[in-house]
Amino acid sequence: MNYLKLVPTALLSLLLLTACNEGGKLSLSERSVIYCAEGSPETFNPQLVTSGTTIDATSKQLYDKLISYQGDENTLGPALAKSWHVTGDGKKITFYLRKNVTFHHTDYFTPSRLLNADDVIFSFKRALDIEHPYHLVSGGRYPFFENVDLSALVDDIEKINDYTVRFHLSRADNSFLANLASDFAIILSAEYAEQLTKKKAKSDIDTHPIGTGPFKLKEYRVGSLIRFYRHEKYWQEPAQIEQLVFDITPSNTGRLTKLLAKECDVAAYPIAHKKITERNDLSLEAVTALNVGYFGFNVNKAPFDSKLVRQAISYAINKKTLLEAVYQGNAEMANSILPKTSWAFDQSIPKQKFNPVLAKSLLTLAGYSDGFTMDLWAMPIQRPYNPNAITMAKLIQSDLKNINIKVNIISYEWNTFLQRLKRGEHQSFLLGWSADHPDPDSFFTPMLSCSATHAGTNTTFWCNQEYDAMIKKALQTPKINERKKYYAQAMAILRQEVPLIPIAHSKRYQARGNNVTGNILAPFGGINFYQVAKLNLTSKNTGTKQSRKRRKNDIIHTGVN
Amino acid sequence: MLVFTLRRLSLFIFTMLLLTLLSFSVNFLFPGEAIINLSGAINATPNQLIELNEAYQTHRNIFWQYIAYLGHIINGDLGLSMASQSDISTEIVNLLPATIELSLVALLIAMLIGIPLGFIAAIKHNKPTDNLILSVSMLGYSVPVFWLGLLAILTFSINLGWFPSAGQISLLFEIEAVTGIQFIDILMSDSPYKWQAFNDASAHIFLPACVIAVAPATIFIRLARTSMIEVLDTSYIRAASAKGLTFRQIIFRHAIRNALIKIIRHIGLQFANLVTIAMVTEVIFSWPGIGRWLIESIYQRDYTAIESGLLVLSCFIFIVHILTDFIYAALNPLARGNKYGA
Amino acid sequence: MARDKIYLEEIFPSPFMQLWSIFRKTPVAMVGMSCFLFLIVLAVFGPLLAPHSPVEGQLDMLLLPPAWHIDGNVSYLLGTDELGRDMLSRLMYGTSLTFGLSFIVVIISLVIGVIIGSLSALTSGLKSSFLNHFLDVILSIPSLLLAIIIVAILGPGIGNTVWAVVLVLIPQFIHITRYAVKEESRKDYVLASRLDGAGPFRILYYSIFPNITDRIMGQATLAQSAAILDIATLGFLGLGAQIPLPEWGATLANGLDLFYIAPWTVYLPGLAILFAVVSTNLVGEGIRHALKLRKAR
Repeated sequence: MNYLKLVPTALLSLLLLTACNEGGKLSLSERSVIYCAEGSPETFNPQLVTSGTTIDATSKQLYDKLISYQGDENTLGPALAKSWHVTGDGKKITFYLRKNVTFHHTDYFTPSRLLNADDVIFSFKRALDIEHPYHLVSGGRYPFFENVDLSALVDDIEKINDYTVRFHLSRADNSFLANLASDFAIILSAEYAEQLTKKKAKSDIDTHPIGTGPFKLKEYRVGSLIRFYRHEKYWQEPAQIEQLVFDITPSNTGRLTKLLAKECDVAAYPIAHKKITERNDLSLEAVTALNVGYFGFNVNKAPFDSKLVRQAISYAINKKTLLEAVYQGNAEMANSILPKTSWAFDQSIPKQKFNPVLAKSLLTLAGYSDGFTMDLWAMPIQRPYNPNAITMAKLIQSDLKNINIKVNIISYEWNTFLQRLKRGEHQSFLLGWSADHPDPDSFFTPMLSCSATHAGTNTTFWCNQEYDAMIKKALQTPKINERKKYYAQAMAILRQEVPLIPIAHSKRYQARGNNVTGNILAPFGGINFYQVAKLNLTSKNTGTKQSRKRRKNDIIHTGVN
Repeated sequence: MLVFTLRRLSLFIFTMLLLTLLSFSVNFLFPGEAIINLSGAINATPNQLIELNEAYQTHRNIFWQYIAYLGHIINGDLGLSMASQSDISTEIVNLLPATIELSLVALLIAMLIGIPLGFIAAIKHNKPTDNLILSVSMLGYSVPVFWLGLLAILTFSINLGWFPSAGQISLLFEIEAVTGIQFIDILMSDSPYKWQAFNDASAHIFLPACVIAVAPATIFIRLARTSMIEVLDTSYIRAASAKGLTFRQIIFRHAIRNALIKIIRHIGLQFANLVTIAMVTEVIFSWPGIGRWLIESIYQRDYTAIESGLLVLSCFIFIVHILTDFIYAALNPLARGNKYGA
Repeated sequence: MARDKIYLEEIFPSPFMQLWSIFRKTPVAMVGMSCFLFLIVLAVFGPLLAPHSPVEGQLDMLLLPPAWHIDGNVSYLLGTDELGRDMLSRLMYGTSLTFGLSFIVVIISLVIGVIIGSLSALTSGLKSSFLNHFLDVILSIPSLLLAIIIVAILGPGIGNTVWAVVLVLIPQFIHITRYAVKEESRKDYVLASRLDGAGPFRILYYSIFPNITDRIMGQATLAQSAAILDIATLGFLGLGAQIPLPEWGATLANGLDLFYIAPWTVYLPGLAILFAVVSTNLVGEGIRHALKLRKAR
């Protein structure tokens, strides 16, 4: 039985192989980044979805937009369009495209030409024009474009020449540019679409994506991984990493384990922040997301038809304990509906005071000296802007007991909850809002305008002509400073009227190994791996490498801005 | 040997019929229509449904339906997964090799650890060493495998950082799946990182395989111990020692060979046990094998996948069972006699 | 001189009593036995003794470490989980679920298995051969896999888990009973009572059963440890006890997300399972050891 003797030898050699050095692999891992993502994308075309997971995996990795938000000031800057021009009446917007933009060259598509006006027109017509041959491919729903009603706003898209496109709008709208800079308004390849039409495989356009972004799709295994390669002929400096892998790990513990065991370089939405911060080879980072969690009142129902009662309650709630208990410190206290990162944020708004005595006297003034009983509807599920509404409701209940208000907490199944809210069956409620893009209008109009009471996104049913006039004016003024002023006035009205009490702006968290450099979390939601690089911690000339990379980053910055 | 083969063959056919009958009838026990459960075509148009009904002979009596079902299985058509609408046989072909690979490595580890320890315990029968080995082995088969897996990850992946905690290989390596057995694929591939990939894959398989191996190893300890004690008690060993052979010679030349043969008979049964443990372990170590897939199918109530997955898995286990019987018979002429067998 | 007894009577203890007298002399087995009895008491009275509710949490007592830790609280001896539920109470309630249920499961399958096994031992021929083949197939499939198959058919849930494990254990009891009865019936004392004219059921009941109880008990301890592990594993995989139930495996799975910040929510249920299985196996070892010694006498 000699073969039995072979077995231990084989195993021993196997172990030896395992133990021997990994010099070659280091270089491979040095040029690649593994990102532990929380879920699989539904499609590879962000036009079709609103889900954050899909946007993360596609938009900034695979595609570019005409224009984009840039720098710390978050102003609009050029992207695929090197410049643009808005006519005086704000109704005609002309984009001048770059002439050096190449599409991805992959196993399934070889581009024969550079990006031109046809691609831009194809991408927007697909989403906006119901007659377009690609409109109904993959379901025919374009949620973002429908929400902001872009098809009503855009009358026509005109090709002036190969590198010039003009949008004709039905009216001036200052959020239009912001919408074009959002993660949904990406540019697809018209040439690829033509090829697919010939091959009768139209739906491939959303499953086998071709874009102009810094990475191209190499491989997708459903529920397991997405492999991206660097786009070598990117119109800017190519990305520093050659390979980007999304390791799809829905389990929270799974992501943390992989991060701690160094199997992924970056992890989305980590749990157990304490565990990460106490390790000195890992770091935790966060951006304040564009959202707000709030406590709203139905102003059509007594006693919340009285401004004084609403004000009283705003003084009786201790936001600080809410932030600690519900968000566990992972959020910023909200003073207005706008988060700090928005350019329209007004520094001068004072912090909401916690003052039960003042609250009581306001209640007396309103004629409710003996207090009253109210219903508080708490949403049943976890959302970024409110991770635990029931707990928050319980804390509010105990706060309001101090000013003689008895609170009944009510909760329904999520869809029922939303439907009943739209019908106005509630007295007060805990909910939140996540903005689609950084333009401040994405907070003001859908949350509190009169038109939004009909659309069902303003469930306070508060409708104030003065406020509506302010936000309309802001939309028609092109000058940022003027818009800022109008929004400040709108916020002052809100402060007086208190249709809702903003509670918190939550943060988006991410953890990474310290050898991964470069920004990943985009300030307005989403992630971007373009600027990521990896340091070889074992190599001796770490310092020089790092400084070289830094310089490279700087060059890119100046190039873009 | 002919009689033995015929006996095994009859058992094999009997079992296969029983297993297919079982998985066929399961389709009627699951909620929903049997034809949908069988084919997995949840979005079928009326025309497709008519075709399916024709293919599965639903208008005839249950016997012909079963025959039609058998026909589909023999043609390798296990239906579509209800959850992903992909072809189940291709999915299984992709997943089963990973499970086989993991189980085989685990079996190897279990045997390499268990059998020598069992022999040592037998040689030191009723001495402290024996008791120690027995106590450790009892602890080994008492410990819940999912807990052991978690502790192993915590200790070896996170605190010590020796082994990776999840998956079959680092995602950075692109290895084309030809056979599905990772190690063979790596050796066949022309990747410039072949040997790094090989090392990485060995590091990935080590921890889950060890966790799986713990329980079977303890059983091998007991089997090896019992069979060695029996062998040491036989007359030919006594004869050998009377001849003046040293203890060492007796053990290595005579006892081990005879004791090993008895253990081989049990490998088949242990392999079945091991595959089950592997299913749970796959969940913990995110191993892309059939166990994890099957358990996820149960969560999603993907009846077609459950039914076909179970059929394939139990057939696989049974085939291994029969194979080890053959190996045993080939090595041990005594077993081929009429006395042995079902 | 008056004598109480005319004949010097020699008392033969029953086989079971013989076994017990050997068993008693093995200290390790006795330790296992007392742990086993402790668990049974806990399974019955645990819900009464538990200091807190296993499902209702204390919102101001989240993720409290066990009492011996510096941040611990004595009234929550083993700490709390992410909803402020007392771990000790959860484990105590869990004893009734994991250990208690497995005990009941073993008893049910033992009764059914022994009845079918002894009846089948009385038959022979084609029926017997078919049963033999059938048992061979069933027994070659590991118990956990079979339990998973049955739960897959019945759907997840604690009730279905219990039925699944019962169904899985029955063949083992059938097999051992059948084998034991067949072996005993070949012995002379059975022949003697058959010659006395006793019917098959009388023989079974009066002659054979007393002589095979110990072997069945040995099998029962094996079945019990398998049942505990199966119920806990199914609970862990989310196929057994559902969310708020404090079944040990499910509690452990619930603690997974807290593994790195509150490791006791994973350690403790795992230790509980280990403890229960080890004590069961110690009892089983004790019985098998005693059986061997009795045979050797």
